[in-house]
Amino acid sequence: MSTWASILLVATRDFKERAASRAFQLSTGITVLFVVGWILVPTFLANDDLKAWSIGVVGDQPTGLVTAVDAASGGTAQSDTIEFESRASAELALTSGDIDIAIDTEGTVLVDNGTDDQLTSAVVTALASIEIATRAEELGIEVTELADLFTGGYKVESVSVADESGEEDRIFAFFATVVLFMSIVTYGSWILIGVIEEKTNRVVEVVLGTVRSHQLLAGKVLGIGVLGIAQVILIGVVAITVMSVQDAFEIPAAAGTVLAWALVWYILGFAFYAVAYAAAGSLVSRQEEAQNAAFPLTMMLMAAYFIASFSIGGENTILRVSSLLPMFAPMTMPIRIAGGDAAGWEIAVSLGLMVIATYGLIRFAGRVYAGGILQSGGRVKWREAFRTSDA
Amino acid sequence: MSQLGLASGDPYHRVGVAMLEIRNLRKRYGDVVALDGCSFSVQRGQLLGFLGPNGSGKTTTMRSVFSLIRPDDGDVRWDGTTIAPESRLRFGYMPEQRGLYPRMKLASQLSYFGRLHGMDKTAATQTARRWLDQLDLGDRADSRLEELSHGNQQRVQLAAALIHDPDLLILDEPFSGLDPIGVEAMMAILVERAQQGAAVVFSSHQLDLVEDLCEDVVIIAAGKVVLDGAIRELRSRSPHRYLDIELATSRTDLHTAFAEFAVIESASGRLRLRVDDNTELEPLIHRAAQLGHVRHFSYAPPNLSEVFREVVGQ
Repeated sequence: MSTWASILLVATRDFKERAASRAFQLSTGITVLFVVGWILVPTFLANDDLKAWSIGVVGDQPTGLVTAVDAASGGTAQSDTIEFESRASAELALTSGDIDIAIDTEGTVLVDNGTDDQLTSAVVTALASIEIATRAEELGIEVTELADLFTGGYKVESVSVADESGEEDRIFAFFATVVLFMSIVTYGSWILIGVIEEKTNRVVEVVLGTVRSHQLLAGKVLGIGVLGIAQVILIGVVAITVMSVQDAFEIPAAAGTVLAWALVWYILGFAFYAVAYAAAGSLVSRQEEAQNAAFPLTMMLMAAYFIASFSIGGENTILRVSSLLPMFAPMTMPIRIAGGDAAGWEIAVSLGLMVIATYGLIRFAGRVYAGGILQSGGRVKWREAFRTSDA
Repeated sequence: MSQLGLASGDPYHRVGVAMLEIRNLRKRYGDVVALDGCSFSVQRGQLLGFLGPNGSGKTTTMRSVFSLIRPDDGDVRWDGTTIAPESRLRFGYMPEQRGLYPRMKLASQLSYFGRLHGMDKTAATQTARRWLDQLDLGDRADSRLEELSHGNQQRVQLAAALIHDPDLLILDEPFSGLDPIGVEAMMAILVERAQQGAAVVFSSHQLDLVEDLCEDVVIIAAGKVVLDGAIRELRSRSPHRYLDIELATSRTDLHTAFAEFAVIESASGRLRLRVDDNTELEPLIHRAAQLGHVRHFSYAPPNLSEVFREVVGQ
């Protein structure tokens, strides 16, 4: 069998077995539901958000008060009125919370600590507009003419071309980083567990009688990696569809570029860490030791994630330095690119180092894997695995 | 391997054509010597028992056939040449215990192993089905391996090693953990593969079973072959013979009458002695007859277990 045929055979098995597993289907379903819920729930809440204002009125109620208040609220409220005999009874109702605001006959608006500022200004605006309409009528001006009186020939136009700070794009890139982080944590541990399982079952001895260890390693990373990307794409498509239907989120103008970069770094970052997880898994013989073996990788990953999450606001030295180092770059460089902070040469250097490091790691991990995978009983030191390796 | 064993006229032995040759293998792990110049060979159609105490290097030897380890010295040859990856696809291996994916379905598992050995998809799928039917597991093609009983798992494991109809079959402890019916089924399959022309090597600690099953054995100790040949030859080549005496008496002190010999077993009315192979039997028969009525008197070379213990020193 050719190298590619062997790799594809292994990759197909890992892809199919994982995709068919209940754990995968369940986690995909839950994630999709979670994402959809996360997008939809705030929208539902916002729709139900018509405020019910209760306005106390002492004496005669000004004509058209409720309509004017609701209009002044910008359509976010639905008010009603309660009439009172005296200012004292209105005050009592206000302080006890039966009404939200009160209007006295003297033209005074009564509020208390609990009164919504928006309600106050809506009531004041409403009263003023009723007053203006009354006076205009006294002066013989028609209401329609009044509208002309208040309409100027000006319109507001924004001159800022785009958001200069790159903040929105950076947040978008950070989302991509979160997705990468979650994928590596999830699929990295799948690879880790899968490698250990093959080792403890001795099935690896049969498999390695037919394919080379680096082919098995590459197939495993490829199969689970493609499944991971497929899951991410599925979730992304669902999220974007729901968002565009709901109009809940405006995709930043530069999203296409940011997304393309995120994908490049996703693939590089995933390959780098997945290979490292496979090598770590080959060194131990029991599932209980899996987390210990992966500990240094988890630490590196966490560090990269924290640097990224503290840098949404903008550039800093740690972000700049870490974006050049292969173990951090997949999570930190996309944020700098999105914010427009990374110089062309920096991106080139970072990419170059990343590709070299990934290739080197594949060679190194392939050797550690070949050396560790057949040694059972206790934990193998990676130096030992590297030295005794036949690959 | 014993060229003597080939002289038996077995039509499946092609005299002089050694298919698998293990040549002077050496392997050290730090201070531990796993293999210390191990050499033997196996022919097509031969069923070879590969014996040795724990830690003697059996598994290391088997792994070196599949290039799972690289020996420090020596090599393994197939049909006279170094083993190429393509010819290794024609080998089948059943490692000690398990060797399968517990959560994979039977049909896809078997066909995966077929494809690993170079079968195309259709052939692998069809052969997997055929094997499952043959094992009476046809209706469980979509069950996961871990849902099967222990015995059925082992049968599937054997099927996985055989699916591509290998020219060389190597099995590490295939009988361990099997019930008597499972043992019999396993024996039948191994004999059948050898008769169909495959070279079959298996390790086992159940020596009486090995004696029943095959004609030839290799015994390895401390990484070196200490005995190699047809079981019958090896037994008769031993400098010892075993004397079994059974008398119609319940005396338990029979051994005192044979004090000059090594007593292997002494019970009421029964005695097993180890004597030299040139011992005069007649005086011994008379001596036994004086102790009581002789019901049984036999003089035979050591059985395989005794040969094993003699050469391995246990």
